[in-house]
Amino acid sequence: MEVPRRLPPSSFTLTLPKPAASAPASFVPEKDPEEEENLREEDEAGEETFISTEEAEPGASVVERSNSNLSSRDSFSEESGGPMQLMAIEELVQSERNYLRLLQLSTVTIRGNLLKLQPPLLNLNSMFLHVDEVMDASSRLLSLLDQKRVRPGDPLFLQTLCESFLSLSSDIEAAYKEYLANYNHITVVENSYKQREGLWNEIVRVIKASAPEVNATSLTFFLVMPVQRIARYPLLLQTIQKHTDPAHPAYALLEHTAHTSIALNCGINEYKRFREVADKYKKTETLTIKDKINRLNSHSIAKKTARLSQQIKHETGITPKLVDEEFDALQDFFYVLEHGILELLENVETYLHHLQGFLACRTEEFDLDMDGEKAPICYKEITTALRQWILPTFEKRMRTLIHRPLCALRDLLVGPRNLIRKRLDKLLDYELIEAKSNLSYEEHAVANTYRTINTLLLNELPQFNGVALQMIWSMLGTFSCLHRDLASDMEQLFQSFAQQLPHSSLSPGAFWEWAESMALEGARRLETLCRSVEDTLNAPVVQPLSPSSQRRLKQLMDKHGSGKIWQAAAVVSSRDLDLNLAKGELVAVISEMDTRGDRRRWLVDAGGRRGYAPSSKLIRYHQPAEDPPPSPHLTLPDGVTGIRRHSYSPESRPLTSQPCFQVMAAYDFAARGSHEVSLRAGERVRVLEPHDKRGNPEWSLVEARGGQRGYVPSNYLTLMPLGVGVGPPGSYLPH
Amino acid sequence: SNWLPFLVWFQFSNSHMFINDVFTSCGQWLEDQTKKLHKDMKKSTEADLAMSKAAVKISADLLSNPLCEQDQAFLDSMNALDTAMKRMDSFNQEKVNQIQKTVIDPLKKYSGVFPSLNMAVKRREQALQDYKRLQSKVEKYEEKEKTGPVMVKLHQAREELRPVRDDFEAKNKQLLDEMPKFYHSRIDYFQPSFEALIRAQVVYFTEMYKIFNDLTDQIDQAGLTDEQRERETEAKLSELRALSIVADD
Repeated sequence: MEVPRRLPPSSFTLTLPKPAASAPASFVPEKDPEEEENLREEDEAGEETFISTEEAEPGASVVERSNSNLSSRDSFSEESGGPMQLMAIEELVQSERNYLRLLQLSTVTIRGNLLKLQPPLLNLNSMFLHVDEVMDASSRLLSLLDQKRVRPGDPLFLQTLCESFLSLSSDIEAAYKEYLANYNHITVVENSYKQREGLWNEIVRVIKASAPEVNATSLTFFLVMPVQRIARYPLLLQTIQKHTDPAHPAYALLEHTAHTSIALNCGINEYKRFREVADKYKKTETLTIKDKINRLNSHSIAKKTARLSQQIKHETGITPKLVDEEFDALQDFFYVLEHGILELLENVETYLHHLQGFLACRTEEFDLDMDGEKAPICYKEITTALRQWILPTFEKRMRTLIHRPLCALRDLLVGPRNLIRKRLDKLLDYELIEAKSNLSYEEHAVANTYRTINTLLLNELPQFNGVALQMIWSMLGTFSCLHRDLASDMEQLFQSFAQQLPHSSLSPGAFWEWAESMALEGARRLETLCRSVEDTLNAPVVQPLSPSSQRRLKQLMDKHGSGKIWQAAAVVSSRDLDLNLAKGELVAVISEMDTRGDRRRWLVDAGGRRGYAPSSKLIRYHQPAEDPPPSPHLTLPDGVTGIRRHSYSPESRPLTSQPCFQVMAAYDFAARGSHEVSLRAGERVRVLEPHDKRGNPEWSLVEARGGQRGYVPSNYLTLMPLGVGVGPPGSYLPH
Repeated sequence: SNWLPFLVWFQFSNSHMFINDVFTSCGQWLEDQTKKLHKDMKKSTEADLAMSKAAVKISADLLSNPLCEQDQAFLDSMNALDTAMKRMDSFNQEKVNQIQKTVIDPLKKYSGVFPSLNMAVKRREQALQDYKRLQSKVEKYEEKEKTGPVMVKLHQAREELRPVRDDFEAKNKQLLDEMPKFYHSRIDYFQPSFEALIRAQVVYFTEMYKIFNDLTDQIDQAGLTDEQRERETEAKLSELRALSIVADD
């Protein structure tokens, strides 16, 4: 059978694992078109070309590849992306549809049924106040996508998706803003229902009856979804971006859309805070702190006597002739203030430095191929939100409201500080001339300078000190408020995950016990694996014995016993009185050291000859086991460690390990002849023969869905571990 | 979900040349990812601890500054701030300890398996090379004319081949058993870590909210938006700049 060879898709949009040096050449990442063109020219003759993007380990297998005469329209163009991108796009769209459907279910069906309850539920409609705008935004997004009549597999779909999202972004923000700002009210109302057990049971019954296929036990199960959905867009869009080639025409647009989704979240959170502040102010006017801060005015500072000033006077021993207690108090306060400001600024900068360090470790960017599991996905969403908008907003507010004003305040310290020093200089001059009765013109000038500066400082320092301290106080209040807002943003995020994690209902003590025991269990299993691998590694190969070796063995065993038999692992050629041994020669060990106590030289019996041999070249000799008859079905007990020796014929070698992988088509493949079979990406196949009739492993004989059999390129097939979420997109989280 | 473009899993283990590639690239990928996650988690935790300590220093330094003694109300505020920071730091430490036990240590242990696995893959490959070499030797004799000496050599070659082949089969089988199981085991292995990460943060931020909500009520002026705060700050700075003693030279 003629086996045409062809290139794999020319530009992958998969995030390929970055293999080390021994990677096979089949995992070829983006090639530049120029290189491809050259290859195509070279291989007109049909010679095999060797393409390797990494250095192949010697002896490692490499897949030979040549290009074919096929034109580029048979290979993937850049617009179509790869299966990963496709899945990510479908995930976004499918989950949006699911989300809208569930919201509609709750607002129409469930609410309708709850309204029929007697006595009527108080405040029920208030829970649904803002959900209509949210649903409207979602349905408009979906209808924009449907209108354009493009399917997710279509190259233009990504562009359509981004444009639709961007065109609706201000409406989305407006809708979600109100919804999230009022979400607390929803939980308050539901909690009020929960207070009455009979009523609550009735409500749950109605919910379950109205939506039997959904495992919901509360109204907030549905009503929390917008909270979750808006925070989800960044991760969904970024996942698409991750699997999209930067050369893709819609890439820039996609990047912009992802940034917009983050900006949306920032804006929505800011609005929520704004509303909280406004509401709070209306409810409780705590002006006491404001009063207290304002009391720190100029007079109160001036009047206070700092103990410090007394201390300093005693310690310095220099008592200026003119002791101005009031000035000293002001001056000391100023120095203490200055020190406080500089220290605070330094501490704030250290804090911000570590905050940036934290933001730089993007722990949400791992990829352990676990995107089908709830816990890792929840963690990724939480951490994405924390690192991409919640903490950055916190940092920005810290810089604007605390760091920048603090820097400005520090800069203003220079003036008074210099003036105080100048005053002291002038004071010393002044003291010299003060006693004189007749002052010259210059001496008058000096006296006046001193008095001016002194008065100026006396008048204005109190105000400076007071206002500066007020500023510091306010900043610290702001610092506390920023922390509260950060925590509040995170709490809102957590609300949507609380119900989804399997062990969230455990009490703290029980939960940590479970988590720690799981960690121990995992460690134990890893250790078992390591041990079993190492045991097999270290098992020596047992060679059959030649007749002369068998005689030697018998002779040594008769004389020394079977426990002392060792074998030369390599040729032993030695000098002096040591023995020469051939590789594989059997000896009996008489003493594990020489006469001088050196344990590296052992005294051995080589069938009559005696002498020393280096112990490093000897390995203990194990008797080969009896060969069991070849058996077609071998089942190994679990956790077998130690030496495993099985001899079985090549013909009967079915692997008895449990199938942990299933085979699927990673890309679409169009059959070009009757001996090939077409595949759609994602289709499961059964491999009949992993090579063609000539034994070439580049083609595999498979049975596709529908029972058709034919050849497909082996590297179009992929392994999918069983048990990992392989369901339709969006199947791992109710949405 | 990230599809790894593995080559086909051969139930007939004939095409050994590809198994090595499967093992090495899968293993390498998983090793790289877990090592990176471990490194990021460690650095993130260190930064987290440092941040918390820096916050404590902010309030502690202020409290030890004689500024505080100037006004009782100010002192009360500083005390309250200091208490809050210290409490947050202790919750943070607890959170970090939990994460260390349930996330960072397991990540490290998981990474520690790879040297053994990589060695096993190498040894298997070496065994395969030995096997192939001896196999072709046998085939060489099989093709020759069946004379006496040739038959003897053939028999010897076959005898030499058998244990080497068995050794390879054993190593091969073990890896074919263990590698997929190991790869698959990552899900069960890491699931608890992620749940623990989330739970630890939920607890921490819940406490943070409680502590700072109370503190803010106590020491912050209520009802201010960010714009209002900025305006107030600017007003105070202007007041200061208007003083003659604050000269701009």
